[in-house]
Amino acid sequence: MQKRLTTKDIAVIGLMVAIIETCKFALSFAPNIELTTFWLIMFTRRIGKKVALIVPVLILVEGMMYGINTWWIMYLYIWPLLVILAYLFRNVESALFWAIFAGIFGLCFGMLCSITYFFIGMRDGGIIGGFNTAFPWWISGIIWDMVHCAGNFVLMLILYYPIDNVMKTR
Amino acid sequence: MQKKKSKIVVISGLILVALIAVFTICYNVFSAKPSEGSKNVVIEVVNSTGAKADYELSTDAEYLKDAMDELAENNDSFSYSGTDGDYGIMVEVVNGEQAIYAEDNAYWALYVNGDYGQYSANQQPVVDGDTYTWIYEKAN
Repeated sequence: MQKRLTTKDIAVIGLMVAIIETCKFALSFAPNIELTTFWLIMFTRRIGKKVALIVPVLILVEGMMYGINTWWIMYLYIWPLLVILAYLFRNVESALFWAIFAGIFGLCFGMLCSITYFFIGMRDGGIIGGFNTAFPWWISGIIWDMVHCAGNFVLMLILYYPIDNVMKTR
Repeated sequence: MQKKKSKIVVISGLILVALIAVFTICYNVFSAKPSEGSKNVVIEVVNSTGAKADYELSTDAEYLKDAMDELAENNDSFSYSGTDGDYGIMVEVVNGEQAIYAEDNAYWALYVNGDYGQYSANQQPVVDGDTYTWIYEKAN
């Protein structure tokens, strides 16, 4: 990996963020069905450590487009966690593995989000208050986490080889 | 290499199945459930000026929306309306006061016994002795 960021890198990062945002907007009618997980995994596998530059740009763009709120705080650690995990397994070439990986991430999404609510609840009620805020919040959304899991799994399984083949040629 | 790949796929698959099983159990054990029979509950409305209206209700309704429909039918001073969304009904007008996020930069927040509600009105189980409070809240 080149240490210096080239003009091409900046353009590619912009393009990748644009792809993620376009897909997000296109799928906004379908709750918990998203391609952000898919693209971040694919980009991590293809461009390696440089994906570390996409995530902050993506989070910043999201905040500018939709406003800074609780969900934005969640994004600050959820997407970086995804790319770190994807980076660790980047050499695995298996659509099924990445479908399972994306599925697990979707399934755990609500639980990861609830960490923010733990700290919100902790302000007033200490650790018990944090737990009493985060746990029911996570439980109430498990059905939607299942939908997220299924969506991520299916989308990865369908799109992995077509997109991976295109990316390999570039 | 192929063996290693198969191993990692099998292990990750097992983790996914185990997580689905654990999450399903947690949902079935800990999620709020409706109860049958008569329940005495209180529905409160706190409007944009902070004025509070209390409504005591004896109902067989299992979910809050049904209890609110019952209350609106029997008490002229209470009314509400909203739109159905993917996550349940989004209450937009209570007692004639509108709070639509996109238009008013405000929303009707539901509290259950003083805690922020985790469900929409049509998914919120009605439990005997509970107090459900609709509060007009300005978005930050």
